[in-house]
Amino acid sequence: MKAQRVSLLLVAAVLLLCSVHARGLRRCLVSMDMRHVVESFQEIKKAIQAKDTFQNVTILSTSETLHRIKPLDVCCVTKNLLAFYVDKVFKDHQELNPQILRKLSSIANFFLYMQKALQPCQEQRQCHCREEATNATRIIHDNYDQLEVRSAAIKSLGELDVFLAWLDKNHQENSAA
Amino acid sequence: IQTPSTVLEEILASLIMWFFYTLIPCLLIDGVAILPAPQNLSVQSTNMKHLLTWSPVMVPGEIIYYFVEYQGEYESLYMSHVWIPSSWCSPTKGPECDITDDITATVPYNLRVRATQGSETSAWSTLKPPFNRNSTILTPPGMDVTKDGFHLVIKLEDLGSQFEFLVAYWRREPGAKEHVKVVRSRGIPVHLETMEPGAAYCVKVQTFVKAIRRHSPFSQAECVKVQGETLPLALALFGFVGFMLILVVVPLSIWKMGRLLRHSCCPVVVLPDTLKITNSPQKLISCRREEVEACVTAMLSSEEPFRTWI
Repeated sequence: MKAQRVSLLLVAAVLLLCSVHARGLRRCLVSMDMRHVVESFQEIKKAIQAKDTFQNVTILSTSETLHRIKPLDVCCVTKNLLAFYVDKVFKDHQELNPQILRKLSSIANFFLYMQKALQPCQEQRQCHCREEATNATRIIHDNYDQLEVRSAAIKSLGELDVFLAWLDKNHQENSAA
Repeated sequence: IQTPSTVLEEILASLIMWFFYTLIPCLLIDGVAILPAPQNLSVQSTNMKHLLTWSPVMVPGEIIYYFVEYQGEYESLYMSHVWIPSSWCSPTKGPECDITDDITATVPYNLRVRATQGSETSAWSTLKPPFNRNSTILTPPGMDVTKDGFHLVIKLEDLGSQFEFLVAYWRREPGAKEHVKVVRSRGIPVHLETMEPGAAYCVKVQTFVKAIRRHSPFSQAECVKVQGETLPLALALFGFVGFMLILVVVPLSIWKMGRLLRHSCCPVVVLPDTLKITNSPQKLISCRREEVEACVTAMLSSEEPFRTWI
């Protein structure tokens, strides 16, 4: 009888620990309506990519950097790449065409909104940056810095479809956590 | 006699005079005709449709055109000199502008308007405070609840691609469970449930806008009822009685019609009573022998006018 009770208590304790641990490991998902921003980019994709003069170099897709990101690192990489675009890429690009400027503004402001939406995750310490995530971000920054600023900016803008697709895939509410 | 210096002085004086003469009209124009900037900028936003309005500039003369520009929070933080011309209102005539296509992110937007008349341009008038589309007023959506036989069908108002609908429906009886269905399709009828006869079902709906993470209030509940099984029975009984009646009435009326037709085309002539010979003809002429001749004569004489009459 005593042994049964002890074993039951042990099982309960293990379950409790597991649930606490699982809560800590739970992904921080920011569900966004990506449709509009994806459409905005589709409209200017050709014009932007046509301006990219270094066709055989990539900034985001080195050895499929983004595809290798594990679920646990999604929040950190999202945070880092949003900052990459908002603080660096959009600022380094000077756009004169009003049509393209409108769409780039739409995407930049959306990224700003997404950064704000991620803040609660950071405050709850659910956006921890592990080594793999930090390495991936560093590779992207290094690729960018190897090119001349304007070329790097236009190339990064041209690769927005890669980043948007990755965001869409990893930040869906109904994807497995 | 004029020396060179006096000549120069005169020239200088006249130049100065002309200079001032040309300045005076310019001063006058500047003082009176600066185009005023548009005032009272405000945004009315309902169901994610945003309308910027302002007081029109009333200055007589040529038509006044307005230019609207916007700046998202990104631009205001990182490149504050960048203002983007509005998609539909650069320029526009009316003192209003549909900025729905410009406000494409859920961040505060700065908006500014200025007026132009001919070559004159007013100063910029900026909206204070900046507009964020998450302050839009969401109204309960319109819905059309119908029954297609036993199927409960609902058709929803088309509010655009940013809207999702949450449809709540339940059976109107105590303790009934409320079902919720998320509808993303627009404009097409949606099947909710197959109803049981005799029961009433109620539906209410609200919208959800993912871009601003907000719900509208629920609409008023609308209820429909499906007729119970008793009615079909009553209908069957009624039908049976009607059928029996028809079985009786139709042959009767056919027979009646037949008789009527016979009468109309081939009528049976009925002798009036006065001409009816109830007894044998000999009896009518009940004359005595002596009077036979007289009777015959009388008969003959009575026949003649009859013959002449024929």
